[in-house]
Amino acid sequence: MIGMLKSMATTMKHALDGEKFTVQYPEETPEVSPRFRGVHKFSQERCIWCRQCEDVCPNDTIQIVTDDKRNGEEYNLHIGQCIYCRLCEEVCPVDAILLTQNFEFTGDTKDDLAYDMEELKNVPWYKDIDPLASREPDRGGWIGEGEGEVDYQ
Amino acid sequence: MSLEEPRPTDVGETADGELDYDALEALLGETAIDREEHVNAPAFVVRPDEVQEALEALREQAGFDYLSCVTAQEYADRYESIYHLKKYDDPTQEVGVVVPTPTDEPVSQTGEPVYRTADWHEREAYDLVGVEYEGHPDLRRILLPETWQGHPLGRDYDPEKPQVVPFREHANPLEEDARVETGEADTMFINVGPHHPATHGVLHVKTVLDGEQIVDVEPDIGYLHRCEEQMCQQGTYRHQIMPYPDRWDYVSAGILNEWAYARAAEDMADIDVPDYAQVIRTMSAELCRIASHMLALGTFCLDVFGDFTATFQYAFRDREVVQNILEDLTGQRLMFNYLRLGGVAWGLPEPREEFFEKTRDFLDDLPEKMKEYHNLVTSNEIFQVRCVDTGELPPAVAKQYGATGPVARGSGVDIDLRRDDPYGYYDELDWDVVTEDGCDNYSRVLVRLREVEESAKIIEQCVDLLAEWPEEERTIQSNVPRTLKPDPDTEIYRGVEAAKGELGIYMRSDGTDKPARFKIRSPCFCNLHTLREMTQGEYIPDLIASLGSLDIVLGEVDR
Amino acid sequence: MLQTAPLPDTIADLLGIGGTLGAVVGGLVGAALIGTLMLTMTAVAGPWAKRKITAAFTDRYAVNRVGPAGLLIIAADAVRLLSKELIVPEGVDRPAWDIAPLLLAWSALLGFAVIPMGNGIHLADPEIGLVYVFAVASIASLALVMAGYGSNNKYSMLGGLRAVAQNLAYEIPLVLIAASVVLFSGSLQMSEIVAAQAEPLASVAGVTVPSWYAFVNPFAFALFMIANLMEVGRNPFDIPEAPTEIVAGYQTEYSSVYFVLIYLGEFIHIFLGGAIIATLFLGGPAGPVLPGILWFIAKIWAVFLFTQWARSALPRLRIDQLIQVGWKGMLVLSLANLLLTAVIVGVIA
Repeated sequence: MIGMLKSMATTMKHALDGEKFTVQYPEETPEVSPRFRGVHKFSQERCIWCRQCEDVCPNDTIQIVTDDKRNGEEYNLHIGQCIYCRLCEEVCPVDAILLTQNFEFTGDTKDDLAYDMEELKNVPWYKDIDPLASREPDRGGWIGEGEGEVDYQ
Repeated sequence: MSLEEPRPTDVGETADGELDYDALEALLGETAIDREEHVNAPAFVVRPDEVQEALEALREQAGFDYLSCVTAQEYADRYESIYHLKKYDDPTQEVGVVVPTPTDEPVSQTGEPVYRTADWHEREAYDLVGVEYEGHPDLRRILLPETWQGHPLGRDYDPEKPQVVPFREHANPLEEDARVETGEADTMFINVGPHHPATHGVLHVKTVLDGEQIVDVEPDIGYLHRCEEQMCQQGTYRHQIMPYPDRWDYVSAGILNEWAYARAAEDMADIDVPDYAQVIRTMSAELCRIASHMLALGTFCLDVFGDFTATFQYAFRDREVVQNILEDLTGQRLMFNYLRLGGVAWGLPEPREEFFEKTRDFLDDLPEKMKEYHNLVTSNEIFQVRCVDTGELPPAVAKQYGATGPVARGSGVDIDLRRDDPYGYYDELDWDVVTEDGCDNYSRVLVRLREVEESAKIIEQCVDLLAEWPEEERTIQSNVPRTLKPDPDTEIYRGVEAAKGELGIYMRSDGTDKPARFKIRSPCFCNLHTLREMTQGEYIPDLIASLGSLDIVLGEVDR
Repeated sequence: MLQTAPLPDTIADLLGIGGTLGAVVGGLVGAALIGTLMLTMTAVAGPWAKRKITAAFTDRYAVNRVGPAGLLIIAADAVRLLSKELIVPEGVDRPAWDIAPLLLAWSALLGFAVIPMGNGIHLADPEIGLVYVFAVASIASLALVMAGYGSNNKYSMLGGLRAVAQNLAYEIPLVLIAASVVLFSGSLQMSEIVAAQAEPLASVAGVTVPSWYAFVNPFAFALFMIANLMEVGRNPFDIPEAPTEIVAGYQTEYSSVYFVLIYLGEFIHIFLGGAIIATLFLGGPAGPVLPGILWFIAKIWAVFLFTQWARSALPRLRIDQLIQVGWKGMLVLSLANLLLTAVIVGVIA
C-alpha cells in the first residue's frame, strides 16, 4: 500500500510542478549541437573532383559525373537515401562537401530528395551557423573572416 | 538438469586459468581431424557426423558451457559451420569447432542436443547459407519466409532472380482456430503480433492458449531482416562498415555496437588504440548503455502499467539528457558513427569544460531520478505482485540458451565481458558487475536499474580522467592505413558487452579490403529464444511482461 | 435543503401543460437536458481533459494548437471520428455486434435518471433509486460480452471474458458497500440519502463538518472508490481492455461511430461512478456558496481526476490476481464493513 501511495505521490508531484520536457516545435526550435549532421552543402568552387566522397559513401548516395578530362559535370546526392554518417565530409581533402545542421527539409516525392549540385549549394545554414567553423574552430571554416555574413563561396 | 551444477574439473585448463589446447586436442582424440588457428582462439576441425560427440566432450569434460555463436559460410570448395564455444565462468577461454561439409552435400550433425541455443543458430545458418543439420528438431527457415528460394549468403545465389511466391503458398493465419498440441481440444491459437501494441517492433509470437494460460509460444522473427551481414560484407573495413552497427540495435545503443565491430577489426588487423580514445570510447559506450536501459525500463513499464503510465515519459525524459550529451560528442542522437578503427572520429567538443559540466550535471541528478524510479516502479506493490516469480528463467536454462547480458545476470549468471574479457578502459576503473538471483521479470528490471548506477560510476571516472589528461597526449586516433587488407584467411570472433548482452562479430578476410564473411552474434536473438521457457503455463500478461523484460530490439534480432 | 419538485414537473409547469401529456413532455425535455449535460461533459473529458491531465502527469504539453487551450480539438476530433469508415469485419454476429455500443452508452446514461444533482435537477426519485442505478449500470457488462463475443476476434473474446470475470468479482462488493450506506440513511431513495448527509457531524473551529458518509465511514468510502475503479475499468483494473496485452479487448474491432459510442459509454460510466460516489458519500450536491449543481459536477470531476491519477501511477493487475482481490479481499472486507456498520447503527439507534 505504501509503495502504491509513493508512486501516486510521485506522479502528482510532477503534475503539480508544471515543468515540461517536451518542446513546442516549431515555435521553439531546438538547439542542435555544432557537430550535428544534417543536410549536405556542396561547394563547386572548392571541389577538385577527386571522387573520394563517392568512393567512401557506404550506400552509393553520391553520384559524380565528370567529362573525359576529369572536369566535374554533375554532383548528385540523394538525401533521402543518405544515412548521415559524415564519411564524405571526413575524407574530403578540401572541405567541399559539408553536413550542415539543417535538419528541416521535405520533399513531396522521392525524386524531390535527389539534390543536384545547384540545390546542394543552396541548402541554407541552420540558424546561420557554419558547422565547419563551430566543429573545428582553429580551421576557420568556410566563412570569410570578418565579414559577419554567411557566404561561403 | 539441476540448478546447482557442480563445475566439472575442466580438462585442458591449467592452474593459472589458461587453456592448454594440446590437452583439448587429446580430449577430442580421433574426433579432431585438424586444428586451425583463429585470431581469438584455436579451433578444431571435426567430421560432420561427429559434431555432437565433440561438443559433448568439450561441454561435459572441458567445461565449455556456453555456445556463443554458430557461423556458417561457404568456401569455393566446401561449406563450413563454426561453433564458437566459451565458458560462462571465464569467457576468455575460447575454442572453436569447425565442421566442414562438402559443397554437393552440405549435411552436418546438429549440435542442438548439446546446446539448446544451437537450435536457432543452426536454423539461421540453414536459412542464409544453406547448411543442413541432421537431427535438428525443427530445421525451417528462421529469418526469411518459408517460400524463399535459395540461400542468400551462398556463393551461387542470384539476388537478381525474383522471388515468385504463388498465392496458394500463403498460409491463411485465420484458418486454424485451435491447435491441438497438448492433447486437449480446448486450446486457442492466437497471433500476438506482428502488429501488436507490445511486441517492441515487428515480432510475431505464435501463441497457444488454454483459457488465459499459455500452453506454447513460438516467436516468429525475420520481419525486420535487412541483410545487415551482407551489407557489411560489401563494405570496406576502414570506413564503410562502421555506420551500420548503429542500425542493428537502433535504440540508442549505437556506440556499444560500433565497439563490437571496432574491437573485432582492430584485433584482426592488429591496430592499437590510444588510451585517450579508449577512455572516450568507454565513457560514450556507458552513456549509450544508460540510454538503452532507460528505454528498456520505460517500455517495460508500458507493458506492465498500461499505455498511460508516467514512468515511460520520465524514462524518455532522462534518456533525452543522455542523448543531448551524445549529440554534443558525436554529432548524432542515434546513428552515431563515432568510433573509427584505431580510435574515435572526434575528440571532446570544445569548450571541454562545458561538456564535462553537462555530463557531471547529469550524473549528479541521476541518484534522485533513480530514487524516483524506485518509488514509481520497484517499490510499488502491484508491480511486485506482477513481476516477482513470473517469467522465471533458471540459471541452468539461461546457460543452455546462451543468454547473456541483463537477462543472464537477472538469473544469477555472473557474466559480463567488460570485466571477464576486458577491453577499452574498463579494467582500470572501479565498478561492479550487477547480478540478481531472482531469475524473474523483477530481477531483470532491477539489474538494469542497478547497472545504470554502475555505468554512472564508470562515466564519472572517465570524465575525471579526461579532464586531467595531459593536453599533448590527447591522441584520438592511431595511424591506420587508408585501406585495410588483413592477411587472407584470418578469422576472428570477438564479443563486447552491449546493452543487451554479448554482441559478437565473426569476420574472415580473403585478402581484399572487404570481409569475406561477416557474422553478427546478436544478444537479442539468443535471449529471445528463452521466451518459450519463461512463459510456459503463465498468463498472457506475463508473456507480455517477459517479452518486455527481455528487452529485445527486432532490428538486432533480425539484422 | 433545496428540496424541490422533480425536474419534469418543473418543466411541465413552466410550459403550462398538465396531466399525462405534461409528464411525458416534461420527462422527455428533462431527460434531454440531463443527457446533453452528461454528453457535453464527456465531450470535454474524452478528447480534451483526459489528454491535458495525462500530459500534466507526464510532463508534456498536450492539445494546445486548435483553438484556445486546444479546446476546439473536441470539434476536430468529433469530425475526425465520425467521418471515418465504419469497418464491419467478416463474420461478426450482426445484431449483437451492433447493439453492444448502443447498449454500453445507453446503460450509463440511464443511471443519471435518479441522481439528484441539486437545484431541483432530478429526473425521478423512486424509492428504490439506489437499486435502480446499480441495476442499469450493470447492463454494461452485457454490452461488453456482446461486443467481445460478437466481434469474431480472439482478442475481443478474451476481453469480453475478462469483463465478465471482473464484473462478477466487483459487483457484489460494490452493492454490499452501498448497503452499508443504506443502513445509515435508512432509505434506498436517492434524495433521502442526500438529505441524511446534510446533518452536521461535528463542529471544528467554527466550521461545521456535515455528516457525509465519507467522513462517517471513511473505510467504506475507500473500499467503494476501489470497487468503483474496477467498475469503470481503469488502472489498475483496466483488464478487459488492456491495450498492451490484448490489443484493446472487446473494442478491438470497432471503428468510427461505434467506437465513439463505446468510448462515450466508458466516459459516461466514469461519470456515473463519480455521481454515485458523490451521492452516496460526498453529500450529493451539498456545498457552500456555489449552487448545488456546480458542486455536484465538481465532485464528479474530482472522481474522474482520481481515475486518471491512478492510471498514471499504478500497474495493471493480472486477471487472476484481480479475481483474487475481488473475491478474497474486497468481498470479505465489504462484508466486514456491512457487519460493523450494522452493529454500530444498531447500538446507536
